[in-house]
Amino acid sequence: MELEDLALVTRARAGDGEAFRALVVRYQRKVYAVALGIVKDPDLAWDVAQDAFVRVYTHLGEFKGESAFSTWVFRIATHLGIDAVRRERTRSKQDVDEADELAIAEGGEGILATALGTNPQETALRRELRDKMTEALAQIPEKHRTILVLREVEGLSYEELAERLGINKGTVMSRLFHARKKMQALLRRYAGIAGEAAGSGTGTGTGEP
Amino acid sequence: MTGRLAKAAVLTAAVLSALPAEAAPGVPVRVRVIRGSRQGPPALDPQLQDLQAQLGHTAYLRWEQVGEHRADMDFNKPLDVPLPSGDRLQILILESRKETVTFEVRVPAQKTQSKLTISKDKRIVHQVTPEKDGSAYFVTIRPWP
Amino acid sequence: MKDCTTYAPMLGAREGELAAGERTGLAGHLEACAACRARLADERALEGLLGEALLRAAARRDFGDFADGVMARVGATQPSGLRALLAFFRQHRVIAAASALAPTLAALALIVYFQTRGTTSGPLAGDFEVTSEEHSPMVLDTSDGPLILLGDSDEPEGT
Repeated sequence: MELEDLALVTRARAGDGEAFRALVVRYQRKVYAVALGIVKDPDLAWDVAQDAFVRVYTHLGEFKGESAFSTWVFRIATHLGIDAVRRERTRSKQDVDEADELAIAEGGEGILATALGTNPQETALRRELRDKMTEALAQIPEKHRTILVLREVEGLSYEELAERLGINKGTVMSRLFHARKKMQALLRRYAGIAGEAAGSGTGTGTGEP
Repeated sequence: MTGRLAKAAVLTAAVLSALPAEAAPGVPVRVRVIRGSRQGPPALDPQLQDLQAQLGHTAYLRWEQVGEHRADMDFNKPLDVPLPSGDRLQILILESRKETVTFEVRVPAQKTQSKLTISKDKRIVHQVTPEKDGSAYFVTIRPWP
Repeated sequence: MKDCTTYAPMLGAREGELAAGERTGLAGHLEACAACRARLADERALEGLLGEALLRAAARRDFGDFADGVMARVGATQPSGLRALLAFFRQHRVIAAASALAPTLAALALIVYFQTRGTTSGPLAGDFEVTSEEHSPMVLDTSDGPLILLGDSDEPEGT
């Protein structure tokens, strides 16, 4: 895929609009998926995704081919998505970190695994949780949403995440851990699984920088 | 004690292994046999709603589903799909990666063979009979339906 | 357990992401810590679910005019159907477009591959290789996936 992308980029740089359009069509949904995870709102995600491609087109001349074209588009989409969230937050003057108020009880480890079973095939519960996933994602803070989305949709490694977000590996792991913990607490609640104690204190405070 | 250590060993191995989750015993695939025709008023079988965009690129205006197969496919083990025309075709999975699946579609009656790599969220629409009396058969192939 | 603070964040690591010392430490910790074994099980159970959910949300949405929107914003002139065809013909040797496809070829946002010597060729040929002794296959790469058409027959069709 990468080599073909490069061929299309070369043609696009030479002014071939159809080649650039082919690149857009190839990656539009995945870029949208990343944007959606970060900004939550589908229409905003659509705009962010389009903005990312527009920006790519404008800077085509600078693309050296050192990283994959797709990495480049995702990188731009990530930054635009984060910017968009922060703009919204300033505008609405809301504290977006609702999940900090959520009671994240300790305990409940392993409950989801037991309920889902070890069989990777689709169970009704797995489908139900998947459908609740974007809703749950929308409730956790932006920095946790972003790192989870980059890990799971774009598939970035710890090293790539560190580079993309400008943090060190330890922080990557810690932030992912907290993000997952919050998601799991929300999913347990959706699944109606015992283990949540509303109103109790937040977790152990494993101190993330 | 032995049991607990054995369990921990399995989990440790799982952490250290390269494969994401258990290696899938089979890739779930949904195959539908559909017929497109030029004759008659334009109509799309409600079951084929999800294919509207792809089918819209053809000149056929009427579409109906005539068959469906679901299977968990192992690598290189062909799925045999009979067609109403009496022909049969074979579908195989050559490769399944994190993001993509590679299918091979063999249509012996048309001396045609396709190797198609698609990302997991997409589907293949493949004509499998030439047009006759204004209609033709297609198959759609979707991994992880 | 204080060790959980160190090791629990490592549970999501993939192959090659942990240093040897981290791997050994984690393995040792897992032997002793039921809570972390359970956390690991939860992560395995939920693996891929978020990616699936977001990609499904993207799949459900109609992207028909997304690329048009991008191209309009970058100010690229949209070639009309006929001009797009002519531009394409200059780049590829085309034998014949089946009449069934003529209205289709004017559609934008598709890359079409034509047969040369019995196999499709074109910039994305690695992903779509269609070989036919009897037909001139064409592949249209749509947003939802490839559409393969048999195209012309070499032999006259029976009636």
